Amino acid sequence: MSLTIHFTLNGSPVVFEVEPEERLVHTLRERAGLTGTKLGCGIGECGACSVLLDGKLVPSCLVLSAQADGHEVTTIEGLSKNGLSDLQRAFVEEGAVQCGYCTPGMVMAGEAVLRRYQRPTTRQIRAGIAGNLCRCTGYAKIVSAIRKTARRRAHRRSGR
Amino acid sequence: MDKTPSVVGARVKRIDAEDKVAGRTLYPSDKTLPGMLWVEVVRAAHPHARIREIDVKPALEVPGVVRVLTHRDVPGENAFGIQIQDMPVLCFDRVRYLGDAVALVGAETRQAAREGARRVRVDYEVLEPITDPEAAMAPGAVALHPKGNIMHQGHFEKGDLAAGFACCAVIVENDYSVPMIDHAFLETEAGISYYDEHGRLTVDACGQYIYRDQTQIARALGLPLHQVRVMAPIVGGAFGGKDEVTVQIHLALMTFHTQRPCRMVATREESIVSHTKRHPVKMSYKTGADRQGNLLCVQARFVADTGAYASLGGPVLNVMMEHAAGPYRVPNVKVDGYAVYTNNGFSGAFRGFGCTQACVGLESQMDLMAAALRLDPLKFREQNVLHKGDLAGLGYPMTCEVGAGRTVRSAQRGALYRSRRRRAPAKPATPSLKPYLRRGVGVATQMQGLGLGIGIPDYAEVGLDLRPDGTLQLRAGTNEIGQGAYTAYLQILSGRLGVPLSRLSMVGADTALTPDSGTTTASRTIFAVGKAVELAAEKLERVLGERAERAFGWAPGPARLQGDQLAGSGGRRPLRELLGDEELSVQAVFHVPVAEREMGDGLPHRFYSFGTHVAEVEVNTLTGEIAVTAVEAHLDGGKVISRTGFEGQSEGGIAQGIGYALMEEVRLEGGRFLTTNFHTYVIPTSLDVPEDLRTVPVEVREPEGPYGAKGISETAMVGVTPAVLNAIADALGVRFFRLPVRAEDVLAALQEKKT
Ligand code: FES
Ligand code: FES
Repeated sequence: MSLTIHFTLNGSPVVFEVEPEERLVHTLRERAGLTGTKLGCGIGECGACSVLLDGKLVPSCLVLSAQADGHEVTTIEGLSKNGLSDLQRAFVEEGAVQCGYCTPGMVMAGEAVLRRYQRPTTRQIRAGIAGNLCRCTGYAKIVSAIRKTARRRAHRRSGR
Repeated sequence: MDKTPSVVGARVKRIDAEDKVAGRTLYPSDKTLPGMLWVEVVRAAHPHARIREIDVKPALEVPGVVRVLTHRDVPGENAFGIQIQDMPVLCFDRVRYLGDAVALVGAETRQAAREGARRVRVDYEVLEPITDPEAAMAPGAVALHPKGNIMHQGHFEKGDLAAGFACCAVIVENDYSVPMIDHAFLETEAGISYYDEHGRLTVDACGQYIYRDQTQIARALGLPLHQVRVMAPIVGGAFGGKDEVTVQIHLALMTFHTQRPCRMVATREESIVSHTKRHPVKMSYKTGADRQGNLLCVQARFVADTGAYASLGGPVLNVMMEHAAGPYRVPNVKVDGYAVYTNNGFSGAFRGFGCTQACVGLESQMDLMAAALRLDPLKFREQNVLHKGDLAGLGYPMTCEVGAGRTVRSAQRGALYRSRRRRAPAKPATPSLKPYLRRGVGVATQMQGLGLGIGIPDYAEVGLDLRPDGTLQLRAGTNEIGQGAYTAYLQILSGRLGVPLSRLSMVGADTALTPDSGTTTASRTIFAVGKAVELAAEKLERVLGERAERAFGWAPGPARLQGDQLAGSGGRRPLRELLGDEELSVQAVFHVPVAEREMGDGLPHRFYSFGTHVAEVEVNTLTGEIAVTAVEAHLDGGKVISRTGFEGQSEGGIAQGIGYALMEEVRLEGGRFLTTNFHTYVIPTSLDVPEDLRTVPVEVREPEGPYGAKGISETAMVGVTPAVLNAIADALGVRFFRLPVRAEDVLAALQEKKT
């Protein structure tokens, strides 16, 4: 038995036939072909599969695809639809990318931090990405990239 | 001639970063092909058992299952292994660890493949697992392999230990134990296989050395090398854990038998159970120094649990023994080492490669001796460090540039070390806890052999293609596993040719396109491949000069590229006048110089990098929690090519060093894994790594390396763990001899101290 689900994926309406127990990460990677969302553990411990569900950060390996029905999902591909976002550019500039396998999830987590706090403290940034494992970077440059983007966004807001 | 290396040493954007950050990069686990089969592995049900019978019929009945393969389907040699081929591709008579592969199931869907794998019936005679290396070494123990359980051993002696100890004012003797740990690369083992347009059996999967993987695949399939193609340009982390073959032979085998493209992606559980680990080691150190603080004796014994198969266990043990006396001048040394087969997973290459374990023991000893002699820990190290020309621990001369002393002095000048007398944390995170917080600062100095060492072929070949428009393509066979080497290669090329990075591109790791640049391991790529890039640049200018001499009558001498022009003694001419529409390709190879005398497989090295780490911890005596609050890394990797890459290696190494010290341990019981995923195998998060990380380059140029560069990726990690241990001892006055040091260990030790 399979289910038909409808949701908004990176701004466009999509329909998929999925298995009842299917996880969103699988639908995204294997059905939608959006491989920017990665799979690192499958149990919600590494954050490689992080996406935004109605703007909130979730590990897509723990979300049933059926739970996305009627909702809005944003993946890394969605963030870079019109070229790299400011946060993505900051990752590149700061050297926050090594093997890059954690990077899409990290960017999503960073984006969630930036949406939650206008001026996040370092502590808030660190806590905000604590569910995302990175084995390569030691996190320092990831934190700098998020901090830099926060400053730039604050600057842009005050300039308006 | 202008050779100003404008981009060398600079902070440049990595060439792969934009695609990675956009989620566009295709990793081995992302690749699919039309009409492909999913392949699942049936792994051993017991850590040690005899196989009586394998019945694949029930699996074949599962709808969607296309093929089930067993040892009978391995057409070539049913054995693999980097050094010794003692590991079956598919087990036939016996299984020796839980990751052993017994059968492969190829199916139309992953679900069907999994169901098929569950249905393969293997009849086992269960045997008692061998889990204690000391017991495995004892005479009469059940042998896991024909030559017995001691896979490798080494014994070295220099000077006169007894006479040396007789002159010592202080002698320190301790046992240390370090756990098995997992690389925890974020991308699990994965890849695809297919026949390419030339009919070559092609494997596009994670790995660290395409040419050796090609050999291993061809040998198992009984195919000539040229019929096998291997590629793996971008890999989601490795750290040594993808050095040995993982999915490659299995993929090739299924495609070979079904003529269909295939795909494999390991689950995390499968990854942790099946791939190599860092060797758990029990070591004993006895060391001594005279009243003046001269290190006189180092005696060490290592028993490394190498698990079920050899992989690189032999060379790992050799490196452990090579570095047993560290970066110090020691007249009397005795080292004994054993790598022993057991049924505990299997161990092999991992960042630091044996040096990591030895450094935990030795650098603890160094602090204990310094304390007993009432010497400053860094002064004690400085007084004893090796200099160029000195004899290293095992007695061979250090002929490379030696920056050990300079890293120690750099650390002495650093803010962290100078603040070490401050006993309390300056600004505790929770002020009410202040009375319970203890601050400590610790140091560790180390050296790390670079490259594969004498006796193991260590060379790098690269190709360089110049197009008529003046753009260039570099071809190198090493993998981009995260370290940023591809960008660094292009920085070297840009520096040597004076051509901007925007005109350079890179093709990596494909046996059909790239020459054999050697392994992506052993901190070697920037040094060995980088040097080959330098040589290729020189050769290109030489060849251009020769051709310009013939074509334009220019005076002999190299010609330089300037955009799409060629510049030389005869002025400037459009490159196209020389090349027409053809590309000009050159190849260059660099053979890494080796030590004068071979002492064992890969033993010793000729080149080393050096480092001194300073770590600060804050220990909560109420809860036992340890927080690493700052780390300073003073690293001699020669000339720094990429500042961003250098810091990235250092910061990532610090995180891994903290993990090894405080939290990581693959736990096994009777050969079965208790830690199977990230909920039980815990690695550092952003909250475990300090905000305060400082990396100080100590650039002692190594003339043999490109621009004087050496590799840094292992040195960046190895010293961190003992520096943290020494900091804990400084904070509490209690020393730990077993890793990892967890909160409960701290509380127990404090309790014991009180009573
Ligand atoms: S794959 Fe979802 S959290 Fe790891
Ligand atoms: S960059 Fe490799 S895991 Fe984060």
